[in-house]
Amino acid sequence: MSERGLRISDLQASVEGKHILKGIDLAVSPGSVHALMGPNGSGKSTLAFSMAGHPSYAVTSGSVTLDGEELIGLAPDKRAKAGLFLSFQYPAAIPGVSVANFIRTARQAVRPDDLTPAKFRAMIFDKLDTLDMDAAFLSRYVNDGFSGGEKKRLEMLQLAMLAPKYAVLDETDSGLDVDALKAVGKSVNALRESEGGKEIGFLIITHYPRILQHIAADHVHIMMDGRIVKSGGPELANVIEREGYDKIREEVAASVG
Amino acid sequence: MSASLGIPVRGVSRAALDALLAHLGEGSVSAAARYDALARYEELPVRSVVRGGRGWKHDLAKLDLSELAAFPLEPDPEIDLESLSPAARRAGVTIERFSRARERHRAAFERAFGAALDTRDDKFASLALAFQSHGTFIDVPSGISIDEPLVIGYEARHEALFPYTLVSVGAAASVTIFERLASVAGAAFVCGVVELIVDERAKVTYAVEQRTSPDARVIMTRRATVAANAELNVDFAELGAKHTVSRFRAVLRAPGAHAGTTAVFFSDGDQHVDIETETIHAAGNTTSDVIVRSAGTGRGQGRYVGNIKILPEAHGANASLRDDALLLSKGAHIDSIPALEIAANDVKAFHGATVGAISDEELFYAESRGIERSQAERMIAVGFFEPAVSRFPTDALRDEIRLVLENKISSKAEAGA
Repeated sequence: MSERGLRISDLQASVEGKHILKGIDLAVSPGSVHALMGPNGSGKSTLAFSMAGHPSYAVTSGSVTLDGEELIGLAPDKRAKAGLFLSFQYPAAIPGVSVANFIRTARQAVRPDDLTPAKFRAMIFDKLDTLDMDAAFLSRYVNDGFSGGEKKRLEMLQLAMLAPKYAVLDETDSGLDVDALKAVGKSVNALRESEGGKEIGFLIITHYPRILQHIAADHVHIMMDGRIVKSGGPELANVIEREGYDKIREEVAASVG
Repeated sequence: MSASLGIPVRGVSRAALDALLAHLGEGSVSAAARYDALARYEELPVRSVVRGGRGWKHDLAKLDLSELAAFPLEPDPEIDLESLSPAARRAGVTIERFSRARERHRAAFERAFGAALDTRDDKFASLALAFQSHGTFIDVPSGISIDEPLVIGYEARHEALFPYTLVSVGAAASVTIFERLASVAGAAFVCGVVELIVDERAKVTYAVEQRTSPDARVIMTRRATVAANAELNVDFAELGAKHTVSRFRAVLRAPGAHAGTTAVFFSDGDQHVDIETETIHAAGNTTSDVIVRSAGTGRGQGRYVGNIKILPEAHGANASLRDDALLLSKGAHIDSIPALEIAANDVKAFHGATVGAISDEELFYAESRGIERSQAERMIAVGFFEPAVSRFPTDALRDEIRLVLENKISSKAEAGA
């Protein structure tokens, strides 16, 4: 139990009575980068939401432990305090709440009183810079009227400011232009090279392999119909790049049949 | 008829008015005007703004003032909450009690008095005039710009307070005025009138912060008249009292006039807040915008009635009204009743209203960042008010309003726990 890592064991979950996750096993160790790839509808986002504790996603069996601490059953804020971060595919807008206020409140919640206001300011300006973002961004309302690229940049800004133990990036590359994707990659890599970021384990959920050209994955998993059907090294992403998911789907069908 | 000194006459009857005049003298409103006003108060019906609406717990038609001591037997020493900086005084700005204003600035006072508000058509404005106890006259001469806000404060220290505020702003003058309405603990009854007369090209911001005690009843009638190319912004934060009735009407009477109206209220406990705003476009190329944000929790009730009237001569008028309400408990209720009346055809008018709860997706997003549910709710709810709160003048006032809102949400969380 005390083993470090983000460990998902036989995780099953349903949404509105529909059984989506049919037993997921996956372990992300500190400092490693795992990519979870799969076609639309394979259950990738369900996995992300189930881990983070979204109330609409019912975990029916299995466990998720973070450095030995069971997350299933905890309120979403407790999971974040344990060290989990989810970058949303579609982050919610919170009108009237400024980016600066939101991040300050979140940082204070997960790491109470560890930064003076001056240090917080210096840190957030530094992270903004890495993301090619303007300071004016801080006074805008959270995701309110943001473009797709701005929303993802804000997710990366929060990731960098909260420096969790494990980060799940759900389709962070979707809807991004090349510049925004580069900025996202730069931000994640800068975080991984920083003092407090070396140990962060990543689970990068994606449909397309292109984000993996910016963030190097150590392990690649392929998910279909609520199960992980194949795991391998970075070369597995290239297979998907060349041949799409159909080939793997056939392989799986053949092995089951 | 007249009561002997030292014995209060209860109610808002003729006998009470006799006693008031015998005790306090005529003051700044003539006895004849007061008796007329009282007669109208007695005759005029309570206007029903909503036909077929739900029955309100606090119904003005059932308002019983028969036991009210309408005036204090011991008059207050000057309630001195007004402020006037030396710079403003040097510029010739006047803030005076009615009694002194009539002595020292008789012409200006009489020109302004009644210019924006004809009390004859309103029951509670008539009552306020009949028993008028405190009056403040502000006069900003033409061309004067005052940076520092002027403050008018009324504090109800007895059973009843009948304040009358008269503001006259000259051509091309610019000023910000705060009206603070408070009361000491107890079931005060506050019934007052505000008149705002805004001359050509003047720029006026008038912000109301009402924070009377939880047992108070407040009925305020405020009216403004806005001249050519003048801009008036009126912001209401109706935060206190058990029962608040706040009515505002702006008449844009010449081309280029603009009125911006903002209202914020939050009914908690068994508070009832009833707000009505009316913007009348009486000339061409006049513009207006209204933003209302409200919330209800506990068994709080609220009603917002937003009227926009565009008269036939108001060609090119442009009006908008946005009203959003947030319900934070099952027992809370807010009615939103926008009404457009358009008699000109080349105008732009927009109105939109929503009543809803905090969305689960917003909550989950904030919680997923480590923010506890109750804190997330508080943050999202305060944020909900922000488009309205940000229109109030000065950081200090905005922060004060945010704090009151936050406390109302926190007390809700504690009560629910």
